[in-house]
Amino acid sequence: MIPETMSCRERVQAAIALEKPDRTPVMPLMVSFPIRHRGMTQGEAWRDLDKAFQATLDTYDDLGGFDMLPKTNVYWPMLGGKFSNAPVRNLVPGRDLAEDALAQIDERVLFTREDYDRIASLGWNRFWEEHYGEMSGKSLQRLAAVQHQLLERYCREKQICEDRGIPVLLGAAVDSVLMAFSMSRTLTQFTMDLYEVPDKVQAAMDASCDDFIRNTLETIAITKTPLAFIVLERGSGAIYRLDIFERFEWPYLQRFVDAFLSEGITPWFHLDTDWSLNLPYFKKFPRGKCVADLDGTTNIFKAKEILRGHMCISGDVRADLLTLGKPENVGEYCRKLIDEVGKGGGFLLTTGCECPVDAKFENVKMMIDTAKTYQGKY
Amino acid sequence: MEEELRAAFLGMKRQEAIDLVKAEIGRGTDPLAILRVCRKAMEEVGKRFETGQFFLSELIYSGEVFKGINTLLEPVLKTARANENAEGVVVFGTPKGDIHDLGKNIVITMMRAYGFTVHDLGVDAPPQKFIAALKRTESPILAMSALLTPTFKTMKEVISMLKDEGLREKTFVIIGGAVTSEFVQKEVGADAQTLDPIEAIRLCKNFLRDKK
Repeated sequence: MIPETMSCRERVQAAIALEKPDRTPVMPLMVSFPIRHRGMTQGEAWRDLDKAFQATLDTYDDLGGFDMLPKTNVYWPMLGGKFSNAPVRNLVPGRDLAEDALAQIDERVLFTREDYDRIASLGWNRFWEEHYGEMSGKSLQRLAAVQHQLLERYCREKQICEDRGIPVLLGAAVDSVLMAFSMSRTLTQFTMDLYEVPDKVQAAMDASCDDFIRNTLETIAITKTPLAFIVLERGSGAIYRLDIFERFEWPYLQRFVDAFLSEGITPWFHLDTDWSLNLPYFKKFPRGKCVADLDGTTNIFKAKEILRGHMCISGDVRADLLTLGKPENVGEYCRKLIDEVGKGGGFLLTTGCECPVDAKFENVKMMIDTAKTYQGKY
Repeated sequence: MEEELRAAFLGMKRQEAIDLVKAEIGRGTDPLAILRVCRKAMEEVGKRFETGQFFLSELIYSGEVFKGINTLLEPVLKTARANENAEGVVVFGTPKGDIHDLGKNIVITMMRAYGFTVHDLGVDAPPQKFIAALKRTESPILAMSALLTPTFKTMKEVISMLKDEGLREKTFVIIGGAVTSEFVQKEVGADAQTLDPIEAIRLCKNFLRDKK
């Protein structure tokens, strides 16, 4: 074991600030994994959130602990009645899916091309106040009450974690504006919109951006955890040309970052898909204030070359390695990450996106133990 | 017609492409000739994607244009169409454990544009469904696309059943989707893996060419 001279939180903060931590900070993004590991079905977890929370805590202990728990349970904390993400329909195990299936999103068209004008005149929040019931056939007030309860629960669970010395990472999750619009229209329809009615899309986005920021700030005011988990996967160079990124993703992301940093909130870019082409833009953000969280699709070693000395990188032990690999494969890859991406600081060892439900326990343990024992070539 | 239609495809002008095709149908142009022009244009889109000139969004857009034109041509093509789909037959699905279909649908659209006949098994497809479809269609190609790791188990089961049924040797198994990798390909025993729709088509074409 490497002698520890920092607390978990200090270690993570040092990595984000591009300073040298006592050892590499480590945290798997666990959501469904603890449920299966502790012998529950995913359906049981969604029906009994107390048991799901306990499974998360127990799994944290079984793994010997790690630096931060990304979140406390299977649900995401959200503000009651306001949407920081596209209001997609979540398919819940045991209710909409098989008892032990993974919770998944039912991606459908939530608003039509004609609605862009309404969004442009109303903004994101007021549009959904008017449109949610018609779109979903459900009451927004009822949904708001459920969301409010979950947010209160999140605060309680977070407090329990922190009383036990386990810091929790996530203050609020927010879609980038492009991500939310794409999820609301579906990738295909949104892409057609970008080519056929780009001005309408932009006007609607212009009118919505501040609502996303406000909703996130309000959520963080309640969770009192100054980190915004910004979900991005639809705006990358894996999908769109840079001129589309420059017009429909980048300006709003800049507004997010300015607003969050001015409130002392860390922007955490959850960058699923390949962002290699776009990463040079991220160097324009203030040095040592944000995190680029990579899922294994972007080449993390090339990302390091681009972001070295500018932005902390988080990643990227791949799902296939954790599921099908052997502990020695995982250990070898983690040491490579610590040596190459950790060199000079600014690195958090995490799973590439979510820790898979069927990851081998010994593989996840190996990932955590490698960070605790391997100093690397700092 | 050919040059204008090609320009509409490559310029991402859906309405222009649709209007041109409607006009050609009205003029009595052979629908198969129109389809051939569209396929050539789609192949050009694919080439530009491979060289980095076009992005996934252009594949998605032109795929939608192609689908729209196909719908227009469908009633006038009828019997002639079967002979046109000479490129190959593919059974395609998202394996059990996953309901994502975005990547699968993009690849299927491109495959059809390239002249493949694709039998789409939808999402969350159990192994038996893949085997039954392969037997029914005598397809030499099986494609599976996934975004979640529980599908690895299904992929292994499918390949194991192919062996049991004596179909493994004559079936080319290709996998794709964000969660797959060369490592997954080896572990589940597939023949090929890619995240790139056009590469998927090339791999399938190569298999069919080598099989002859």
